[in-house]
Amino acid sequence: MNRFLAGLFWLSLCLILAFITLPLLVVVAASVSPSSTVTFAPGDWTLTWYSAVWTAKWLDPFVLSLKIAVIVSLASGVLGALGAYAVAYEKCPGSDAIMSFLLSPLAVPQIVKGVAIVLFLSSAGFYVFLGTSGLIAAHIVLTLPFAARMIATSIHNFDKNLDRAAQILGASKWQRMWHILFPLIKPGVFSGMTFAFIISFNNIPLSVFLVRPGQTTLPITVINYMEYSLDPVLAAVNVASLIFILATIFLFEKFGGFSAQIHGGSK
Amino acid sequence: MTIAETGSAATRLRRRFALRGYIPLVPPITFLMIFFAVPIGMMIGISFQDSKTLAFSLGSYERVFTDDLILAGIFRTMLMSGLVAICVTVMAYPVAYFLARSTSRWRTVVFALAIAPELAGVVLRTYGWLIILEDRGFINDALIWLGVISSPLPLAKNLFGVVVGLTHVVLPFGILALLTSIQGIDPNIEKAAQILGASRASVIRHILLPLSIPGIVSSLLISFTMAASAYATPALLGGARFKVLATMIYEQIMFYINWPLAAVMAIVMLVMMLAISFAGARIETRLHKKLNV
Repeated sequence: MNRFLAGLFWLSLCLILAFITLPLLVVVAASVSPSSTVTFAPGDWTLTWYSAVWTAKWLDPFVLSLKIAVIVSLASGVLGALGAYAVAYEKCPGSDAIMSFLLSPLAVPQIVKGVAIVLFLSSAGFYVFLGTSGLIAAHIVLTLPFAARMIATSIHNFDKNLDRAAQILGASKWQRMWHILFPLIKPGVFSGMTFAFIISFNNIPLSVFLVRPGQTTLPITVINYMEYSLDPVLAAVNVASLIFILATIFLFEKFGGFSAQIHGGSK
Repeated sequence: MTIAETGSAATRLRRRFALRGYIPLVPPITFLMIFFAVPIGMMIGISFQDSKTLAFSLGSYERVFTDDLILAGIFRTMLMSGLVAICVTVMAYPVAYFLARSTSRWRTVVFALAIAPELAGVVLRTYGWLIILEDRGFINDALIWLGVISSPLPLAKNLFGVVVGLTHVVLPFGILALLTSIQGIDPNIEKAAQILGASRASVIRHILLPLSIPGIVSSLLISFTMAASAYATPALLGGARFKVLATMIYEQIMFYINWPLAAVMAIVMLVMMLAISFAGARIETRLHKKLNV
């Protein structure tokens, strides 16, 4: 009986992991498969689909998504750091309430945020914001809470004695912020920004309301195309953008020690 | 200068110093006010407008609760989310248990495999499921080639396809929710029961499952809310044949341009989510109290 249960456990574990990896493997396989309908033909492979990715049709949306994600990541880093600084470092009165306000967008589903923002922008004389600036603003609403929370956690874990020591030794407030606080919370800031970048780059539920013809982000371009055809170019686009995301995480990691934050957070 | 004056000057100074702490909050709070709080308020305002005359009207609310198509969509959303919540929790449990208890070097591999799909984004994964499940996809191709079936099984563009796709999207979150809960269970309790002669089955039934109920509940709640508010997966794997609340809201905005109705449907979704998280929080505190005593 015990052995049967153990066997069942391992079998189910393997099946579940297969379920998790299956769609990813299928997409990678389809992206190098030579046939134009998506089928699996082991042995034969090609990079034709990847060369099709390198055309304006896919590059323009990619550049737009990249631009938006960079701005969103920087803005949520700055805004999140300001909010987290006031709440977690200065601990101004009412900071709990302020933090819940900063986190409140998390309680609202993305579709609902999207509806609210698109209605607001199209009816309140904010017409100018429709399009790319509207997309950026909407994405920041989505990512700011994550960034603020991650940065607040790292300020919370920061050893205040280091700050006091610097103060006793005569460091000014700005010196302490720049030389003590910032280097120590940098992993938190960078992980918040990486998170914001990935969320913005992959976002669909908000973007879908705000993109304008001729100015669509990469995920929206892909899903629009998917409604008509499933050809393997899509597989190549998807794999290429996944590789791009992984490379970005790697870069951020090199810069800011993203995993140091994760490991530090788990202790 | 009188004492009273110096006193008030000092308070003023102190107050000014205290207010200085709020200055960094000005940009983030202003931003969220303009692009989050005001839009939500406006959406609520628009929901009370008539779709043509813009006069005050409860018509859209009435329509949401009487229109059979919309009610069917809400019901489909609930059914789909409930099924996803159950599938995710059942599948996440063994993985979370392995991650919580294993010390082998495979642990890192399994952890990476469980979490990595999250980085790939919803589009890639949905595309993957589409080419697996569609009429001329891998599964139907293989089954027809093997001669098991003669015409393709309807695997995509229906409830089945959407539940499979969403389960895949939500699974990592279920795993993380259960992982924290199972990690909090003292492994010595399981060992003690085993030493006292309990079989593996009765350890699971009488120790592991009851103690991980909080984790199971939070996994169910996270999965349900994520599934009910998902847009891309139901839109692509369900298509026009399987409409849920999220895709119906999108249609109202983009195709029918009925803002009040879209606003009401969005509010229905929001209230549903808030009610579930509120109920969930209450259930969780009650469970924690019960388990600690």
